[in-house]
Amino acid sequence: MNNPIQNVMEKIKTWARTNSPWAIHFNSGSCNGCDIEILATLTPRYDVERFGIKLQGSPRHADVLICTGPVTLQARDRLVRIYEQMPEPKFVVAVGSCSISGGVFDGCYNVVGDISEVIPVNVYVPGCPPRPEAIIYGIEQLLKTLQP
Amino acid sequence: MNVTFPPLIALLLFPGGLFLLASGLVFEYVDRKFIARYQNRIGPRWFQPLADLVKLLAKEEVIPAGTIKGLFIALPIAALAAALTAGLNVPLFGFRPVFSYPGDLIGTLYLLSLMTLCIGLAGANTENRFSIVGATRALTQLFSYEAPFLLALLGPAIALGTWNIGEINQAAGMNLWFILSQPIGFLAALIGLMGKLELPPFDAPEAETEIVAGALTEYSGRGFALFRIGRDVELVIGLTLIASFYLGGFSSPLDFLWKTAVLLLITAALQSLFARLRIDQTVGLWWRVGAILLLVQMLVIIVGSSLAPFVSRLFGG
Repeated sequence: MNNPIQNVMEKIKTWARTNSPWAIHFNSGSCNGCDIEILATLTPRYDVERFGIKLQGSPRHADVLICTGPVTLQARDRLVRIYEQMPEPKFVVAVGSCSISGGVFDGCYNVVGDISEVIPVNVYVPGCPPRPEAIIYGIEQLLKTLQP
Repeated sequence: MNVTFPPLIALLLFPGGLFLLASGLVFEYVDRKFIARYQNRIGPRWFQPLADLVKLLAKEEVIPAGTIKGLFIALPIAALAAALTAGLNVPLFGFRPVFSYPGDLIGTLYLLSLMTLCIGLAGANTENRFSIVGATRALTQLFSYEAPFLLALLGPAIALGTWNIGEINQAAGMNLWFILSQPIGFLAALIGLMGKLELPPFDAPEAETEIVAGALTEYSGRGFALFRIGRDVELVIGLTLIASFYLGGFSSPLDFLWKTAVLLLITAALQSLFARLRIDQTVGLWWRVGAILLLVQMLVIIVGSSLAPFVSRLFGG
């Protein structure tokens, strides 16, 4: 890693990664409140394209997996599959109270638990539901952790 | 401008090669910025396409099971190579085409449609059902816009009596601009280009809400980056062709810049105005409306240009 050319390459890669986080959105059993807030985040009013954030359709194109809700028994396999379909490097942002702790669904017969019980999570955004500003702030925190 | 470049520089640096790639990124930025402004947003920062490209190139490339590996790796390269090769035949930045031969209009159009063929093959190569649906739609769209697009670009060529892009570029500046004498052709060429690049409202082949990301669903990292930059290069070449045919050609880089910027402004407006067409609506629009109008216009051009000598003799020319 002490090679100067490799250092420069790493810097360029980090710069590109922090400036172009493409997101994919997955609901693993949420009440849809957080999803509506995520959609509100993507509207022209908040204009996340300023930061290079773009919603992608395919997990193969995405860098950031934005998860909402607790993980239900039905959704667990799908969530893991979507996560595994994403190419490295990949990051997970858990949005909403339920994705942090299970929220009001904690202990339900059909709920596995929070997101971190199934896949590794990088950033948690609390709130029920969190405001769009909070979601943007959460992604900004994720991008800050990427910088050395 | 009649400047000739040494072949290697023309191929790798300017006006082909590296400079063409860079201008592809700039054009993508301008396109996205215009759309953002039309939607009352601030829009991306100026280095956004570059950051996207570098990030994608640095990402892992997943080769899914069930694909032909060689084809999966080769198709993006072939698509980008075809687009870059087509760049040698057109008067980029107002300079004379680097390489030209009689009838290179047809060759360039063929190279431009190779991109869509590659996307179609890339979709059909994977086992993913979404990419197969996307590939079917991409190829259906290819068959619908290709003939009207060709007819639209043939209008000026037949009127001027030459099928060489460089000569058309020079002659178009001396006549009345073809956008005035052949407005149908201009519209068809511009909308045909949008169909070729799968821009909204013709983005049914990669409709996010229906089929994930269309034919390129399984592509990640390097392959996706090459397809994206290939599409940007194709945008530059397509706008160059239309501006040189219909907006009076270019004689200087400044001419090139403002004419392509005006065209980008129009395409961005169309992209933000219209909702996505279904694939059958796209085909219907092209064959029921576009092709027939263009054939009528073509007939008028042929009859007009064959009658022109008689008319001028009649009026003592």
